[in-house]
Amino acid sequence: MYEMRAAKAASAEWRRIFHIHKNTFCTEIGGQQNPKLKIFDRHLKRQQRDRAAWLMSSKDTLVDAVAENLIDRLEDCKKSFPTALCMGGSGEAVRRLLNGRGGIEKLTMMDMSFDMLRTCRDAEKTLPETTVETSYIVGDEEYLPLQERSMDLVISCLGLHWTNDLLGAMIQSRLALKPDGLFLGAILGGETLKELRIACTVAHMEREGGISPRLSPLAQVRDAGNLLTRAGFSLPGVDVDEYTVRYKSALELIEHLRSMGETNALSQTTRTLKRETALAAAAIYESMFGADDGTIPATFQVIFMTGWREHSSQQKAKQRGSATVSFADLQKQFGG
Amino acid sequence: MVRLNRVLFKDTVISFNKSILDMLVCPLSKQPLRFCEETNSLISDTIGVSFPIVDGIPCLIPQDGKIIETDDTLNSGKGEASSSPVAEQSKEKTSDS
Repeated sequence: MYEMRAAKAASAEWRRIFHIHKNTFCTEIGGQQNPKLKIFDRHLKRQQRDRAAWLMSSKDTLVDAVAENLIDRLEDCKKSFPTALCMGGSGEAVRRLLNGRGGIEKLTMMDMSFDMLRTCRDAEKTLPETTVETSYIVGDEEYLPLQERSMDLVISCLGLHWTNDLLGAMIQSRLALKPDGLFLGAILGGETLKELRIACTVAHMEREGGISPRLSPLAQVRDAGNLLTRAGFSLPGVDVDEYTVRYKSALELIEHLRSMGETNALSQTTRTLKRETALAAAAIYESMFGADDGTIPATFQVIFMTGWREHSSQQKAKQRGSATVSFADLQKQFGG
Repeated sequence: MVRLNRVLFKDTVISFNKSILDMLVCPLSKQPLRFCEETNSLISDTIGVSFPIVDGIPCLIPQDGKIIETDDTLNSGKGEASSSPVAEQSKEKTSDS
């Protein structure tokens, strides 16, 4: 009963918001209930992903490598995951490279962009016959529309670094998991595109005399472990991989970012980069980081996060004072 | 250079797969959803919002939701999903809660 009353009160508030802020994002409540920090413009990100769905090539080496790395972790578990959710980012690559790993029977693909899902659905027709039953929903990672305890596995490949409330998204993923369910996430880390960051900053300072953020804030490795624990996952695991991709020119790098849907969606940035500043940034990039053969490198640091929903079968640290063997005994055993 | 390499073809109408309905909840209130045949949408009764289903794919993003006008037809289990831009109506509702 209490829940019904609370839901009704919340509903009245939401209806008011829908009426007054009709064309605005529903998180812009105007400083009333949830003054959430809005770093990223989710609506713009959605449009960029729609565009990326058309620009996407069928084989992207970077995205495929990350997805392959992520899915490989399923092979390390004896458990099979009949119901799985794949959230945003490069869901298409995950679906394509799955190849029956993890024992997945029912897969739900979720993305913010409708066009991305449609592309996935069309691409599925070209996949070899599999026993995976795929369904598609348009949803936001920050407002996960999934029933609690309904999923064995939640995968997010390069999608969560665009959420405003990363911790909230991870908490909702955990709640959607069944006990002893697995969460696998891959996000871009702080070292990503550091060359581009440096080149843009230098060019900006030279041309316009100030700095405006051109690259989104990205999580550090030390934060990832914290996030998993705060979200309530047990047995958390974090590891980092760095990929260096070589491009013929800075323009190719930007095109690649566009086709992945990873272009700038910061709320605070002045959208248009001046032509001279952009050209200057490209020139600085090539002069500072260019290799002898004229190609330029770009670093992508990917942080892989693993977490399980708590279950009684998982190992836990024993209570203090319950030891039955002392260190002295161990020393004798191993002849130390 | 932008090269479009997608083939545009007209899909046959793909219907919504009801078996996933028991997995889905409203993204805002986290309460179960109801499928409404005539408007082809998923209705969240607790907050009175309907989410459209486009091409067999439900759009469960908060900004895609439409307020349902509360009139007597809602009680009989069928809702009229139409957006009402009347500000007075919203003020009335907040006074109810």
